[in-house]
Amino acid sequence: MADYREAPLATRPKTLDPNEYFNLSPEQRRAEEERAALRANLKRQYQQQLNNPHRKELIEDPALTRWVYARANPYTNFRPTKKTSLIGALFGVVPLFVLYYTFKTDRDRKEEQIKAGTLERKFSLSY
Amino acid sequence: MLKILIPTLMLLPLPWLTPKKWLWPTSLMHSMIIALISLYWLKNSSEEGWTTLNPMMGTDPLSTPLLILTCWLLPLMILASQNHMAPEPLSRQRTYISLLSSLQVFLILAFSATEILMFYIMFEATLIPTLIIITRWGNQKERLNAGTYFLFYTLAGSLPLLVALLLLQNSTGTLSMLITPYNDLTLTTSWSHKLWWAGCMIAFLVKMPLYGVHLWLPKAHVEAPIAGSMILAAVLLKLGGYGMMRIMVTLDPLSKEMLFPFIILALWGVIMTGSICLRQTDLKSLIAYSSVSHMGLVAGGILIQTPWGFTGALILMIAHGLASSALFCLANTNYERTHSRTMLLARGLQMIMPLMASWWFTASLANLALPPLPNLMGEIMIISSLFNWSWFTIILTGAGTLITAGYSLYLFLMTQRGPLPQHITALSPSHTREHLLMALHLLPLIMIIAKPALVSGWFA
Repeated sequence: MADYREAPLATRPKTLDPNEYFNLSPEQRRAEEERAALRANLKRQYQQQLNNPHRKELIEDPALTRWVYARANPYTNFRPTKKTSLIGALFGVVPLFVLYYTFKTDRDRKEEQIKAGTLERKFSLSY
Repeated sequence: MLKILIPTLMLLPLPWLTPKKWLWPTSLMHSMIIALISLYWLKNSSEEGWTTLNPMMGTDPLSTPLLILTCWLLPLMILASQNHMAPEPLSRQRTYISLLSSLQVFLILAFSATEILMFYIMFEATLIPTLIIITRWGNQKERLNAGTYFLFYTLAGSLPLLVALLLLQNSTGTLSMLITPYNDLTLTTSWSHKLWWAGCMIAFLVKMPLYGVHLWLPKAHVEAPIAGSMILAAVLLKLGGYGMMRIMVTLDPLSKEMLFPFIILALWGVIMTGSICLRQTDLKSLIAYSSVSHMGLVAGGILIQTPWGFTGALILMIAHGLASSALFCLANTNYERTHSRTMLLARGLQMIMPLMASWWFTASLANLALPPLPNLMGEIMIISSLFNWSWFTIILTGAGTLITAGYSLYLFLMTQRGPLPQHITALSPSHTREHLLMALHLLPLIMIIAKPALVSGWFA
């Protein structure tokens, strides 16, 4: 089947029909036809809405609605696992303490230098 | 002062007395005339002191830019609401305009108050019209949750403020803003003084919002109708900044020890909310998180308490007010056409609405702090004064600026460039009203480039 392409005007011979070629059972063939029918129905509904000249609003896509809702409501589905707790701690808790330590030591060092008189405090018009 | 306040009070009965045909034009013209008259406040006759002073209200170079921004925003809000209020019944339209006007009255009284307690009462009073606007005229059912978050975050933060202010009144005998800078309190590091300091500041930090307590803002901004989003982003956040600036002058020298956690939260919040912006799919949510990011920088500037910090904070507040409100108006033009806030749905708009694309471009550039716009002036001053405070802040603020540029460009490219969705066939062209709205937002922003001393506050 690998390199076989359809001829533009001829139908496919029976031996090369995928159902025959792969020797699918009748139940599988029926299931495939049912799925194809469902897809065709959905496509028909979409095409009807798309080509409707009086349509003024958006075509509602339920998958998009679900996706937007999921993106907007992460907290209701949140479950603390090891990974999420680690990420939360790493980005939300640890930086605060690291930054507190950094700024406090820097400012204290400056204060000590001012008290010892070693910091050169030039006149600055704007600070 | 009364020249502005009495006309604004008259805006309350105005919608109820005008016939239906003239409702929106008259309220628009009335509020526009008030906005133009308010420009005379810019003429500060005493350099660093209070002008237009009476026993209850006054303006000084700090409150003048915020007052003018508030007065300017009311006609813009009325202009923006005209379209989505058109199908509503007449009495509801009148109620809407009355709510906006009452919010305006409270805001003018808040920014011009000379007693800190009056500022507090007006600060709380603005919550009610905003709550009504969000929960009644919002578009999705999440608006109830948004209103609850908005109301209770701000209330819970501001009840300690009431206690702290009454304590200040008892201990110093006055709460007048003319006298509190000269209070000699010399706060120590005892627990009671620390609690008192926290009580004074937390209300304004929640309102600003500070990164840890910012959860109300994306909800409230996203669920509010356009006028609610505009007034929230442009003015109500600045109430927090203004309150902080007014009250910090009395709180020395304890501030030097107490401010570390809040500066850290503010600066880390700049980076974190900026990164969240890069991952957003909802247009208004992106603009709301960018508001948190800019306000974090403002909070950092105010907490530093240096002249450049205050000046930069005030300039950034004004510039961000105009730019953020402009972005919300642009997002609303999208929403009115597609009734969806998803960015994916409204791409490639440059092809079909090129003039609106130029407004999108200018507003995005303002958001990412392009020189010579005042957004950059404010940010540069805050970043410089933070750098003077401690060298390591430049890492945080520099990364924050980078991420800001990233998500502002992402916003622009996502909505304007790219393939036009093929299933959206009925996008009405831009109305002149929308172009007027955008011009009225962005032209003052561009004109401030010429004279930034107008919005620089005390240290012009």
